[in-house]
Amino acid sequence: MIALVDCNSFYASCEQVFRPDLQNKPVVVLSNNDGCIIAANKEAKALAHIPMFQPVFKIKDLLSRNNVVCFSSNYTLYSDLSKRVMDTLRDFSPLVEEYSIDESFVDLSHYKIEELEIIAHKIKDTVYKNTGIPVGVGIAKTKSLSKIANKYAKKITKNNNVYVVDTESKRQFLLNECKIKDIWGIGKKHAIRIENAGKKNALEFANMPVDWVRKEITVIGERLWRELNNMPCMKINTNIQVKKGIGTAKSFGFKLSNYGLIEEACSYYVSEVADLLRQQQSAATHIEVFLQTNYHSNTDKQYSNKIVLTLNEPTSSTIALTQKALIGLKKIYKEGYRYKKVGVNLLGLVPENEIQMSLFNSHKKIESKSITNVIDLLNSKYGKNKVKLATVGNREKEWALIKEHRSPRYTTQWNELMTISNKKTPNLK
Amino acid sequence: MTENKTYYIKRSSKNHRVTRPSQTGFSSPATHYTEPRIDLNEALVSNPSATFYVRVADNSFVNYGIKENDVLIIDKSLTPNNNQLILAIKDDAFSILKIENKQNETLQVWGVITYIIKAVK
Repeated sequence: MIALVDCNSFYASCEQVFRPDLQNKPVVVLSNNDGCIIAANKEAKALAHIPMFQPVFKIKDLLSRNNVVCFSSNYTLYSDLSKRVMDTLRDFSPLVEEYSIDESFVDLSHYKIEELEIIAHKIKDTVYKNTGIPVGVGIAKTKSLSKIANKYAKKITKNNNVYVVDTESKRQFLLNECKIKDIWGIGKKHAIRIENAGKKNALEFANMPVDWVRKEITVIGERLWRELNNMPCMKINTNIQVKKGIGTAKSFGFKLSNYGLIEEACSYYVSEVADLLRQQQSAATHIEVFLQTNYHSNTDKQYSNKIVLTLNEPTSSTIALTQKALIGLKKIYKEGYRYKKVGVNLLGLVPENEIQMSLFNSHKKIESKSITNVIDLLNSKYGKNKVKLATVGNREKEWALIKEHRSPRYTTQWNELMTISNKKTPNLK
Repeated sequence: MTENKTYYIKRSSKNHRVTRPSQTGFSSPATHYTEPRIDLNEALVSNPSATFYVRVADNSFVNYGIKENDVLIIDKSLTPNNNQLILAIKDDAFSILKIENKQNETLQVWGVITYIIKAVK
């Protein structure tokens, strides 16, 4: 049996762990640059008259009148709490697949079917106790069924965030409750095709002849069909997948036309992605740079461009990547525009230990590799970006994201720890 | 002429040298006895994924021996026993309490305080 454990309004819950004054209060988390709401807790979603997914500046007054507390996204905090949740789940099973930042599949085949209801509650209670994060648990024979069970666990209040499909009648009941479009992994087109065949819910779909399914919605559909009929087709995948491309693109806090500042931001992003590249022990063969003005603006002149450059040899060195990226940036930059966004993508990634040595450059490469190692070592000891290339510059404030309401990084920075005193709400600044 | 002149013998350039192990003489008698150095995490943190650190902002809790700037190590996974210090939530704010024998009110426990780190200056 497989459990899908899913954190409830994860980002908002993370913020609430360290803010007891926000218990049972509406909390929302904003996207990079505080542009729009990307997560809202139950209490915030209940405020039905607020159009939650509008740009924040349009609904700012409405939010504050309803006492909705806004946070800028604090991904450092969220990823640490996510890790704590996943590690807690590993106490229950050696096989845990981290499906996303707030969702994991957990293999429970070593438990007896009769125990699972109790185990499900134990998982939920332990994660909440150890980390402060509330989760929902759906358990079933296959991944697809556990996903539906998890949705149902949260949908009906009396389920108490737990639903275990441990009998055939429960499976049929669950599928009967699930609409076609809510089946995990079914596309819009396929959902319409199934509905046009007269099927209204997942149970009716699961009872269709398999030949029809394979013919009309391909092998993907057949796999789903089998999963819904208790035949596991998807394994728990514990290997972290090595990414085939790594990229980052963030809007500037302000619109920029100064080439120097854009160059600094670009260098900074290269150093970020190069870091990720080295963490997964890959090297890039190509680098893409792109630049954009704000296409939402009606008054600004519009321009955007991108360029892909090939590196002399596959590399993960920040120095080599930055050099190449800045050559590209120079080529696509045009004066006289107010730019909103710059980004870099590393493409054609290959494992670092399988790089073809180029005959003439190898000496230089080893040198650059040891410089990179020293920089990484210093930064891991003294903090991110303490040692950086001069091209990154010192003017981060002039281009960096606006994060007006970011909470402290309570779990990763000594100087941002949660503080307590007898005065109320000590964390409010 | 009694000039003391030192003649350095030039090493061959790196590219032409045959690499060989540089160790000579007896191997260290400590080879089989080395151990990793003491790590505070090992002694102070038994459940890393449930352990949090909290700084005390003022002298409000001095009656528990907790002073301004102390750092509390808190294990959320533990269930508090008698006479243990806990971080509790009271009236929507954090507070430090001692678990007494006769506890009538139901407490909202955030975590059990396991160690207090103090700077001695």
